[in-house]
Amino acid sequence: MNSQSKQTDEISRTLARIKADALAVVCAVIGGVGLFAMTAWLVIKDGQQAGQHLQLLSNYFVGYSVTWPGAFVGLVYGAMTGGAVGWAIGRIYNRVVNVRQR
Amino acid sequence: MSRESSVIIGAGPAGLTAAYELGKRGVTSTVLEASDQVGGISKTVNYRGYRFDIGGHRFFSKVPLINELWHEILGEEFLLRPRISRIYYNQHFFDYPLKPLNALAGLGPLESFLIGLSYIKAKFFHIHDEKTFEQWVSNRFGYRLYNIFFKTYTEKVWGIPCHEISADWAAQRIKNLSLKQAVRNALFGAKQGMDGSTLTSLIEQFHYPRFGPGLMWERCRSLIESQGSRTVQGVKVERIRHRQGRVDCVSGWSASGEQLEYDGRHFVSTMPLRELVHALDPLPPEEVFKAAQALRYRDYLTVVLVIDRESVFPDNWLYVHSPEVKLGRIQNYKNWSPYMVPDPSRTSLGLEYFLWDKDEEWTWSQERLIELGIRECAQIGLIEPREVKDGTVVRMEKAYPVYDQTYQESVATIRRYLETFSNLQTIGRNGLHRYNNQDHSMLTGVYAAGNILGERHDVWSVNTEKEYHEEERVAKSSAGDRLVPTRVSVSVGEAIEEPEDKVIEIAFAKIDPLALGVAVGVVSGLGIFMASAILLLRGGTVVGPTLSLLANYLFGFEVTWTGAVMGLFEGGMLGFAVGALAAGLRNWALKAYAKIVRWRGEREDRRHLLDKM
Repeated sequence: MNSQSKQTDEISRTLARIKADALAVVCAVIGGVGLFAMTAWLVIKDGQQAGQHLQLLSNYFVGYSVTWPGAFVGLVYGAMTGGAVGWAIGRIYNRVVNVRQR
Repeated sequence: MSRESSVIIGAGPAGLTAAYELGKRGVTSTVLEASDQVGGISKTVNYRGYRFDIGGHRFFSKVPLINELWHEILGEEFLLRPRISRIYYNQHFFDYPLKPLNALAGLGPLESFLIGLSYIKAKFFHIHDEKTFEQWVSNRFGYRLYNIFFKTYTEKVWGIPCHEISADWAAQRIKNLSLKQAVRNALFGAKQGMDGSTLTSLIEQFHYPRFGPGLMWERCRSLIESQGSRTVQGVKVERIRHRQGRVDCVSGWSASGEQLEYDGRHFVSTMPLRELVHALDPLPPEEVFKAAQALRYRDYLTVVLVIDRESVFPDNWLYVHSPEVKLGRIQNYKNWSPYMVPDPSRTSLGLEYFLWDKDEEWTWSQERLIELGIRECAQIGLIEPREVKDGTVVRMEKAYPVYDQTYQESVATIRRYLETFSNLQTIGRNGLHRYNNQDHSMLTGVYAAGNILGERHDVWSVNTEKEYHEEERVAKSSAGDRLVPTRVSVSVGEAIEEPEDKVIEIAFAKIDPLALGVAVGVVSGLGIFMASAILLLRGGTVVGPTLSLLANYLFGFEVTWTGAVMGLFEGGMLGFAVGALAAGLRNWALKAYAKIVRWRGEREDRRHLLDKM
């Protein structure tokens, strides 16, 4: 291996770790704000009868609807779900990296 | 016979630094110098008030300890000087480092186009096993540009065809930057100079002692003498007596013909390796002797002309590539420091010739060499012969250790043998047969002194691939030590290196594609399973018609318990693929970015390749 490729491999010597808490916060913000924005957009665009498909989320998020109050409920659910997904990905990733580096 | 604790052969930067460092720790030494002036190749010669260097010595070091030493020895005597230099080739002056528009104007559009083609060819038909300087430079600049801007000058300096010069030599001068260095330079590019001012680049400006670098070594000699050590000039060491792996004494002749002998407990030599081996008594094994015989040195001669004109050209120096003249470089000492000339209405030029001592010109008389200098200087249109009012010649033997195809093996053989001596160290440019700059040589002196005092340093590691590690080690190990009192002039890069490196390491760490694939896969699979399960548990006449649409992507999926399990696996696999791909793309992008950063850094370094010859 020549010195050039040795140096290029500098970036592959260390495996990154994911901060699960930070990823959870990021995903929570994206999930919560995302669902709020999607709901709000449909309410503004089409009024109270809008969002028949998005409305189906009420199957999972009790109390959610495509209305202004529903948008705030969606904000909370979206944040919780996003947070859980982010945290889970971070934790599982780190666990796998630890196992592989043993 | 005199007895000293340490005997140092050679009063150049390495030898004097070793003596100075020993003196600071209360150990006296005797420094033996063959010539009548200290400083070695870094001396400044004074001819009727006109001062000149043996080559030009810009003061810039990446080693904080050396910056400290310069400051410590010379105090406030440094000037910050602008750097201007050009190449003379084919009756044109080209800015150096090369500037595209200026080069285009000088070379013409056709030649520039051909250079471009040659560069592209070098990129596509790269010589993989670079053995020679020619191959090394052609690979990076294209053969045509190499032929114009590197070949003739390099061959003038080294006196051997470029295809016989080892590629190591170029690689040593232009080291491949590590990623960390490149990122550090990109993010924290500005370096701090000796006076704390910010230097954007050595290309633009540099520090220089008011009266030339020799002033530093004259001061250093005074400091050494005030420490109780002594410098004996005019003593040429010719014999180094040893037995049972220890040197007992060195002997030589004074200028008056008296034989002198010095013994001591420790010996440090800056003699050229060839001379050192020849001086050993008894002589070393045949193979070591032959290895020493094989080492070659390039000699240097400067013709100084005093010109009756206030300003001849604005540059600090000119590279003369044109093959029709023998001179290789012209120094304009007044532009290095205005204090280098006694009369501001006159200019002194140093015409540098690189020779072998067997070359005919080496033996020419001073008058004949001055005539040659005047003729060649006039030939390239710099002066009128009648403007020359005075002149002198200075010769410097063995100025450059030659990196030919066999030197590495020879040096390794000699090194192995010398390492069997417990009280002999060899340092400096010729002592290591390495094309060190002044700062590197000084660092070997610092190391040698440390070794005498019980530390463990490898002097051979200076100015090699390991250089940065060594520099870091010196900087760290010396913290709080009186060798490094405080960081007066520590470069920005050194000061923030440790936390900065950690940040770079974290920022460039690789995401593990397998781990991210597993993580995203698990979450995706479970997500689909749970979404299906919730709908199934809620029940109803038609369960999950919308979620069932996932069947368009997940083969066999439906909102049933069987379908949920299918979704778990298929969603898991799809998630794995997405996660692994995302990690791979991110790593690839980072690697590409890292390559670009380093390529930019190396390109910047290569821009001033000629300066490093």
